[in-house]
Amino acid sequence: MKTIANNLRLFWQGTMLSYIALFAWLRPTTYIASKILMPLAQILFFTFLGSYASGGSNVDFYVIGNAIQITAVSGIFGVTMSIGGDRWAGTLPYLFGTPANRLMMFFGRAFMHIIDGALGVVIALMWGALLFGVDFSQTNMSALGLTILVTTISTCGLGLLMGCLSLITANVMFVNNTVYFLLLIFSGANVALDTLPNWMQAFSQILPLTRGIASARILIAGGSFSQVAPMLMSEIGIGLIYGWLGYMLFKWFELQAKRKGTLETV
Amino acid sequence: MNFKNLFVYWRTVLTVAEITLRHQWNDSFILFAILVQPMIIAVLALFMLRGLGGDYAMFVVVGSGLTGLWSSLLFISGNSINAERWQGTLESLVAIPTPFEVIIFGKNLANVVQSLISMTSSYLLAALLFGYTLKMVEPLLFLGSVLLSVFAFISFGLVIAPLFIMYRGIQQWQNAMEFPVYILAGFLFPIALLPNWTTPISYILPPYWAARALHETSTGAGDVQKVILAWGLMLIFSVIDLFIASKLFKVMLYKARVDATLETE
Amino acid sequence: MNSIEVKNLKRIYRATTGVIRRTTKEIVAVDDVSFEIKEGELFGLLGPNGAGKTTTVKVLATLLIPDAGEVRVKGLDIVKDANEIRKHIGFIFGGERGLYWRLSAIDNLRYFASLYHVDPEISKKRIPYLLDMVGLNGRGDERVQGYSRGMKQRLHVARTLLHDPDILFLDEPTIGLDPVGAREFREVIRNLQSEKKTILLTTHYMFEADSLCGRVAVIDKGLIVALDTPSALKKHVSDLSVVEVETFGVAEEVVEKIRNLPFVDALSVKDQDQRQLLLVQTKLGAEAVPDVMAALDGMRVGRVTVREPTLEDAYVRLVGGQV
Ligand SMILES: Nc1ncnc2c1ncn2[C@@H]1O[C@H](COP(=O)(O)OP(=O)(O)OP(=O)(O)O)[C@@H](O)[C@H]1O
Ligand SMILES: [Mg+2]
Repeated sequence: MKTIANNLRLFWQGTMLSYIALFAWLRPTTYIASKILMPLAQILFFTFLGSYASGGSNVDFYVIGNAIQITAVSGIFGVTMSIGGDRWAGTLPYLFGTPANRLMMFFGRAFMHIIDGALGVVIALMWGALLFGVDFSQTNMSALGLTILVTTISTCGLGLLMGCLSLITANVMFVNNTVYFLLLIFSGANVALDTLPNWMQAFSQILPLTRGIASARILIAGGSFSQVAPMLMSEIGIGLIYGWLGYMLFKWFELQAKRKGTLETV
Repeated sequence: MNFKNLFVYWRTVLTVAEITLRHQWNDSFILFAILVQPMIIAVLALFMLRGLGGDYAMFVVVGSGLTGLWSSLLFISGNSINAERWQGTLESLVAIPTPFEVIIFGKNLANVVQSLISMTSSYLLAALLFGYTLKMVEPLLFLGSVLLSVFAFISFGLVIAPLFIMYRGIQQWQNAMEFPVYILAGFLFPIALLPNWTTPISYILPPYWAARALHETSTGAGDVQKVILAWGLMLIFSVIDLFIASKLFKVMLYKARVDATLETE
Repeated sequence: MNSIEVKNLKRIYRATTGVIRRTTKEIVAVDDVSFEIKEGELFGLLGPNGAGKTTTVKVLATLLIPDAGEVRVKGLDIVKDANEIRKHIGFIFGGERGLYWRLSAIDNLRYFASLYHVDPEISKKRIPYLLDMVGLNGRGDERVQGYSRGMKQRLHVARTLLHDPDILFLDEPTIGLDPVGAREFREVIRNLQSEKKTILLTTHYMFEADSLCGRVAVIDKGLIVALDTPSALKKHVSDLSVVEVETFGVAEEVVEKIRNLPFVDALSVKDQDQRQLLLVQTKLGAEAVPDVMAALDGMRVGRVTVREPTLEDAYVRLVGGQV
């Protein structure tokens, strides 16, 4: 019982600390700029581009796709920063010196970003309703909520893997930015996947977000939960696989670093 | 900036530009801003605009190239003064006989010219990978438009950089300023899609006139008169921007000497 | 003729802290400083950490605006005529920063030469000459990134001599150099002086000031506490002797006790690994030793010597024992 409590505390501390550390230097206005305006601008851009492409007939498709995609801002950038932050701050050796449960420590870093990411999607969808008149009257709201949560979790899973890569490469931001932008194509946020070449479609299927976006579109159009349930199962499975790979990499990194004494220099 | 300075110091401007390019040639952030992001946007737009028919590929090439120009102006030129401060070189650039804005002009020249790579790479992508036959309708006018756009972007960058330094509050919005200009300047879709009230904002953005001139000359959508109008406005904006910049730089440098902000610890 | 005139210079830093409740703290870095430097003179500015040396130099180098006072370089006003002044000055702020690390030394120099409007024909000859002078010949094509600290500092010297300025501001140019490097560096400075350049040098090292400077100003807490030639400054303490006592882990109270002995004029402590060297300045000379030992009260002591005062001792006395 005591170890569980300990682990919970560790989980929570990692969560809060990483989040506070990340935004401590930011002012409220920066938070608004990065969490509300930047996503809005991106949604607007792709939605206008989409409506230019489709002659204005298919606005919902783009609004929903890009709104769900917003979760990747927290899922990839946020999570990576939380993990990489220790390296930049030089606190990694201290962390690895503690007996703390690595699993808790690791996943704790993603927790706050799950909430943050889900919130971001909700705000984005509200923009969609407000500015583009996306209609939620036929929507099973709790199923949509679950979809958002599941998609956010799976994206954070990818983020955890990216975050661990950031412990190894020097060009974290380059890799993150590239992955984020590639998701704009491959997640189907902006192009109907079945119009893409086969190899691209295949690649889409092993990424998070793809099924989440598809589910959200179905649900908002009035589809039922049972229609999307299998997709959500796969979505969360994919996320867990990425998260697990990240965790393995994290352990491997710790081992290597300790063996070679490269904790600070890598 | 005092126009005269450009003639007096042209040699310095070129050296600054050359050294800037060499200093940052393998910077991964720049690689992303001028190569990766515009190419991904180009791929997306090529897929999305397929149904439009006509010359949409050329339109996408120019438009996605423009996104690279703007992003690099916003992030690289916008941060050029800050970057020198972090390196500890800002003091050595201020306490010298060359006016500071001449140096930043040279740096912006390097950045803007370098970000023309965006358009080139989008062109190659569309032509080679996607197999489009791209044809430039008015090559000479297009070239003129490129030159004027470069000048307009540099001048605009000279206003942004000191503003970012003097008002941290503005710089916080930097990330949120990237896509709005893509939208308002009509890089990849006409601004007619936007609500009417945004049109005046577009008109006061030099990137909007650059986009018009480049799109009209490459796809042949506009007649010569329209192109000349865009050129004229780019020139006017450049002159205004250079004038504002010269005032801003004066105030900024004085303020930095008062507040001791030329270096960071 | 005076190259540099500083009259009642005052400079305050204002630091704002806190996000929600903003408070402004004022730090008076330079309170009231006046001095003059003649053409061709090598002038030293000495003082403990935070005394205001760098601040003074930055005002002179047109990088800070004074809050009060009048500062002239070559008769020109530091605020109004900054641009004109900049053609004639060079400066180094000790340390490694301030160079483009991803460029070669030659590119760095080429860049700054062009910013100083050195004619390309001239800089083509001047860059190799300067590299040679600071002992970097043959390594000019390497990226600065791979340079050692001393090499970077020497590159700074080359950088600041590109436009052949008459006036040089050197802020702790030898900081962080090994003894050999520092000695070579001082040789470079001596050569510069023989070229009739006016030099303002700040340093923590007494012997450096002693061996290089014609006159020295000692600055403490933003005020000049003494200004004279090194030998005249030494005369301030010529009636004193210095008792050096090596101790092992002496307590703060004991040091205070000795400091308060009636015959002690000044006391400073130099830390050397496990040992501390107590430097007791006194008119009594060797006669003070028994009383000092008594105050140490049976503690383990090492070597005890009595010697003549140096410039450093004069300095210690002027700034009240804190080095
Ligand atoms: N940018 C700044 N903002 C706030 N305070 C500053 C700043 N720069 C210096 N100070 C303060 O002003 C005082 C004088 O600093 P200065 O750097 O001039 O001293 P110094 O004599 O050069 O010291 P050192 O020997 O350590 O180099 C110090 O108290 C310092 O903390
Ligand atoms: Mg100093």
